[in-house]
Amino acid sequence: MSENIERRRFLKCLGASSLIIAPLGCSSVKEKESDANKPHYAMVFDQNKCTGCGECKEACNLANNLPEGKSRLLLEQHSGGLEGQPCPHCGKTTECGCERKFVRVSCQQCKNAPCVTVCPTGAAHRDEKTGIVTMDASKCAGCKYCIGACPYDARFINKETDVADNCDFCLHSKLAIGELPACVQKCRYDALIFGDIKDPTSYVSKLLRVKDSVRMKPGFGTEPSLRYIPIVKLGV
Amino acid sequence: MEFTMGLSDGIAWPWPIAVYLFFAGISGGAIATAIFIRFYKGQTENTPFYKAAALISFVTISLGMLCLVLDLTNPLFFWRILVYYNLNSVMSIGVIALTAYIPLVALITLLAFEDEIRKIPALGILLPVIEKLKGVRRPCEVAVLILAMAVCAYTGFLISALIRFPIINTSVLPALFIASGISAGAASAKMLAVSMFKEEMHSQDMKLLHGAEWPIMAAEILFIFMIAMSLFTGNAGMQSAFSAFHVGDWAGVFWLGVVGVGFCGPLLLNFATSKRFSHSAQAFYASGVCAVTGMMCLRLFIIYAGQNFAI
Repeated sequence: MSENIERRRFLKCLGASSLIIAPLGCSSVKEKESDANKPHYAMVFDQNKCTGCGECKEACNLANNLPEGKSRLLLEQHSGGLEGQPCPHCGKTTECGCERKFVRVSCQQCKNAPCVTVCPTGAAHRDEKTGIVTMDASKCAGCKYCIGACPYDARFINKETDVADNCDFCLHSKLAIGELPACVQKCRYDALIFGDIKDPTSYVSKLLRVKDSVRMKPGFGTEPSLRYIPIVKLGV
Repeated sequence: MEFTMGLSDGIAWPWPIAVYLFFAGISGGAIATAIFIRFYKGQTENTPFYKAAALISFVTISLGMLCLVLDLTNPLFFWRILVYYNLNSVMSIGVIALTAYIPLVALITLLAFEDEIRKIPALGILLPVIEKLKGVRRPCEVAVLILAMAVCAYTGFLISALIRFPIINTSVLPALFIASGISAGAASAKMLAVSMFKEEMHSQDMKLLHGAEWPIMAAEILFIFMIAMSLFTGNAGMQSAFSAFHVGDWAGVFWLGVVGVGFCGPLLLNFATSKRFSHSAQAFYASGVCAVTGMMCLRLFIIYAGQNFAI
């Protein structure tokens, strides 16, 4: 008798737990497989070379058919006066001796991307072939969860399509036709370098081997694929 | 190296989300309290409080869903959340919980209003449905009790996943939202039970709820204090977020709305007035309105002050 009850309880628990576990297999998001053979695309922003001309932004707007004036990247000025505006570093509105410093603000292409984790529909996802974090506009519901979750505030709503958008290294516009990202192509000072860091012979790999580079907000543990080569003080 | 600019335009989640969190909290809190009392006291009839709670729960969760859908960049996209799932996403898990919770609350509301439906001949078609559903009432109530708690907690987990904001990214948020959901849900159901369903203001159910009010409020105060202290003693980002409690408009909302109206209001109305007044109908409604207002202010404070103070 007691054996029967035990068995019945066992079967009940088995049924209940399978009911709980079964939906885990029904997710419309694919878990990432081993990515040993996949490329790892990275971009390097060399602050020493950037003059803040902003042509990268225009190129981005054009390449990705974005609404007027919008691009997937911004340039934040850290020092050196523009005409009529105070220098962000020393505050002078007139000519100051500060070196002009800019920082690229865009999607950091995190290895542990919070936007991909929080997206309820799998619209913000990692492209299977390239490993690049990109958008499936047909799945995005416009909940803005990814925008709040991004530690870099690097995502935005495209006002024309009403879906979230991020810099995906021109995955669908330029990489798809075998070209470099539009901003990289456009930069005439070679401040932007793009390539596969899994390939030891690529220029970006070689560059990162010899240059010190930093990642933004490493404390978040997101492991960005965007690296920055900061201006180093001379004569110290 | 750092940057402080962002590509998004201001706050990702504005007030409709705070209102949604508010409604979801009331809905879960009200129905959970009613079902708990029903089980605890072994009630079999549809008490006025049970009816009020079921009605409030169903109406508020529906309004909450409306807020949620209207906050989408394009409300017509809402079907995508129902079709595509990502079980790593708190929101997706919440959607699954809500798709179970809302129909079950509707079902419980239907059963709660059996007598009223009988009186209206036009709704006669519902009676055979009600008869059939009576058999599954108990398991449904157990499920709703669990789901109601889950929905309250989910609203906390949903936003605590936003790692950029120290005030929001705290582990006690789900507990705080359960506590404040229960207090505001119970308060609004109490008011409706007395005003619409002719519950006596000093009945046993009401006394029980009235007694539970204070420990729950104490828990809320404790949770808020825990959040404030962890920010105060935290790293630079957390310390700068602590200033949300004393700088800016949202600090005003916190001290006036949450502390003043939400906590001090009911306390003063009940303990600082004459016994005659504190047992009167005015005090009863004023205290209930205070609890609900305080809860709304808490949600607004968390959403806005939280998103204003990013790391």
